[in-house]
Amino acid sequence: MSQLTDALASNIGAGDGAGTESGQGKAKKPAKPPKVPRGKFSIHLAHYKWLYLLLLPGVLYFAVFRYAPMYGVSIAFKDYVPFLGVNASPWVGFQQFQDFFANPDFGRLLGNTLILAFLSLGIAFPLTIVLALLLNEVRLSILKRTVQTLVYIPHFLSWTIVASLSFLLFALDFGPLFLFINNVLGTDIDFLSDPAWFRPLIVLQDIWKNTGWGTIIFLAALATVDQDQYEAAIIDGAGRFRRVWHITLPGIRSTIIVMLILAIGQMLNTGFEQIYLMTNALNRGVAEVFDTYVYFVGITQGAYSYSTAVGLFKSLVGIVLIFGTNALAKRFNQSGLF
Amino acid sequence: MITRKLSLAAAVVTATALTLTACGGGETPSADLSTINVMAPFLEAQPPTPDGAVQQKLEELTGKDVNITWTPNASYEDKMNITLASSEIPHVLVVQSKSPGFVKNAEAGAFWDLTDKLDEYPNLKTTFPEVQNNASVNGKVYGIFRARGPMRAAVMFRQDWLDKLGLKAPETTEDLYNVAKAFTEQDPDGNGQDDTWGITIPKWGALGSNSPYDIIEEWYGAGNRWTEKDGKLIPSFETEEFLEANRFVKKMLDEKLINPDFATFDGTKWNEPFFNGKGGIIVDVDSRVSVLINLFKQANPNDFENKVGFVGNLKGPDGELNAHPTDGYSGFLAIPKTSVRTEAELKTVLEFLNTMNGKEVATLFNNGIEGVNFAVEDGKAATIKPETPEGKVVNTDIKSYAQLGTNVTGNNFYPVKQASDYEQKVFDKRVEVMAEDLKSAVYNPAAAFVSPTYVAKGAQLDNIVADARIKYLAGQIDEQGLKDAIKLWKTSGGDKVQEEINKLWQDSK
Repeated sequence: MSQLTDALASNIGAGDGAGTESGQGKAKKPAKPPKVPRGKFSIHLAHYKWLYLLLLPGVLYFAVFRYAPMYGVSIAFKDYVPFLGVNASPWVGFQQFQDFFANPDFGRLLGNTLILAFLSLGIAFPLTIVLALLLNEVRLSILKRTVQTLVYIPHFLSWTIVASLSFLLFALDFGPLFLFINNVLGTDIDFLSDPAWFRPLIVLQDIWKNTGWGTIIFLAALATVDQDQYEAAIIDGAGRFRRVWHITLPGIRSTIIVMLILAIGQMLNTGFEQIYLMTNALNRGVAEVFDTYVYFVGITQGAYSYSTAVGLFKSLVGIVLIFGTNALAKRFNQSGLF
Repeated sequence: MITRKLSLAAAVVTATALTLTACGGGETPSADLSTINVMAPFLEAQPPTPDGAVQQKLEELTGKDVNITWTPNASYEDKMNITLASSEIPHVLVVQSKSPGFVKNAEAGAFWDLTDKLDEYPNLKTTFPEVQNNASVNGKVYGIFRARGPMRAAVMFRQDWLDKLGLKAPETTEDLYNVAKAFTEQDPDGNGQDDTWGITIPKWGALGSNSPYDIIEEWYGAGNRWTEKDGKLIPSFETEEFLEANRFVKKMLDEKLINPDFATFDGTKWNEPFFNGKGGIIVDVDSRVSVLINLFKQANPNDFENKVGFVGNLKGPDGELNAHPTDGYSGFLAIPKTSVRTEAELKTVLEFLNTMNGKEVATLFNNGIEGVNFAVEDGKAATIKPETPEGKVVNTDIKSYAQLGTNVTGNNFYPVKQASDYEQKVFDKRVEVMAEDLKSAVYNPAAAFVSPTYVAKGAQLDNIVADARIKYLAGQIDEQGLKDAIKLWKTSGGDKVQEEINKLWQDSK
């Protein structure tokens, strides 16, 4: 969800930028609007006051809700006690980070988080594109719309409901899916507590819930692919798969890359609710990730500084990943996100 | 060039916004103590009505405006910490447990040390000093504890099944095994199908959570969290009895005498298999007996007697009775120093709490308002039937107000008269059995001690053993794996916890 809003926000932002540029382009002409005097800031401000006014709500939003709270991040370097407050709590520097990296849990958490992240990126992300392509090939409008609506619906169910459904379907000894799969395969697997089945279940839930919703942006991109190229390709004798491979996919390549960069940036956000709800004593070894650990240590044990340090570390990794993918995308001669 | 100016503009805007947000806080509450602010959890679906009859009566009895912030129980600990960090701190704060968060705040000086102050107040001077000590932080009393019956462990079983199979109520853990086996294999519900099991266990696995595992371990003689061995305190999971008890549970699991989904079974559905005739035994607190009887009564008011049977604690394999008590309290009422600043103010608050724990308010919190929702019959409080609309509000509200009751001098209110003779009989038997078991209670010798290492990472440490216990029972690891986990507990910091606890224990002698 937040990926989507971010993407939309960046699109809108890009639109604004384009508008300003074209405005400036006109200004350079000696004709109507006089050349903007560049010397004084106040004059500059007066000249572009409406544009700045438009900008103001966005800047305020980010300042108040995104930047101001960052002040609280400082507790990662302190031994925070609520009673003493952020300022008066003693400063401990990188102690919390050292404790975290030296903790035997660290390797396990990093491993669990990365494995889940790559599974979601490697399976759920391509599936979204595949589903969008499939929907795009459906010619019967009513069928396409019906299927689209049906695959969107799970997105609006909360994780609590998804988890409850899973518990019912896979319940030991009487869940319908439990009975079906175990009878067909002749096995006796308890999907809910077997650690080997934790990750497949999480990925399945993720696919079921989010794939349909994720297709929206790809479908929008698909609509912009030049129809003439398809006609030309048909005349040249290209079959459906050829057309998809040579026209559709290159046509939406830049969208795929933008979405991929965004997805990688969010990669370590493995989804607290989903994982928390599916964790139990038997699968905790593979289930515990940064998000659930931060909750467990920070909220239930009151180790606010420590868990803030863990969260901050996670964010840093996220930033590195975003810049890394962006650089890679540029290197392979594609347009990056920024 | 333009970008630099843009960023300057952005910086100015940001700075303004920051100043604006900074101005939002402030406003310290006035020191006028005609109003007492209280923060308390509520466990019901709705918090009590703010201008309800109970609230009015409370203000009338205490002579103060009592402003209670009811906070949902599930997020209480978070809210408490946020409140302590804010500027609007109540005068009286319900603290639910000696959580690491609370201990840190207390050691930083957030609460009044009441150790030497309570004796002046007749209703606050406890008649259970050992429980007050349990609730203290290494001997320092930071609040007035909320007393709970220390003996609550019981075994509940389907009496009709037991009668049908011609069995006797269990007295030992061996009997428990036999009854569970009969319930599983001898078709106690007589439907000709193999669809029943013995004991139902929910997914509660944390150490020291009074779970069925904890209770059975204590019956085996493993002790209560900590136990004394060779002049030292050791965690109960380091005893041989701990392993024996878990071998016993595992044997029952392997023979399918326990629900196989014990690691994922939701604790809120605990009564369902019992009521629906699937699992015939529950090991939990004795108050569940009444809950179960009520379920049967609601389903069939004409035939609910003799469905639920119960006994107290069971004798272990060595024939000894090691009854499992709780620490005897459920959190305490603490007084923050930021809102109650002077000794004089503290006195006012303590006097208020003294009234709160007097007979009149205790009756209000636990029974309600006489003539509105209850009437006194033979020294007992009988609920007025049919319930009037006013009575209904009072009955609902007091469930929340009971959270403020401390009862540190015993129960100064009317015992509740049960709805029928049968239920009264069962209730009286419960009281009797628990009183008898209390004589054999084995307490946690380290309840009062708070070790710094445990505060820092105790919950993570305990998880190592708690998860290993479940994994062992489920067959994911063998007994060696369980022992390895206990070793890991020691090397990951448990050794230090043990050292600190022992030092505190020696010092307290």
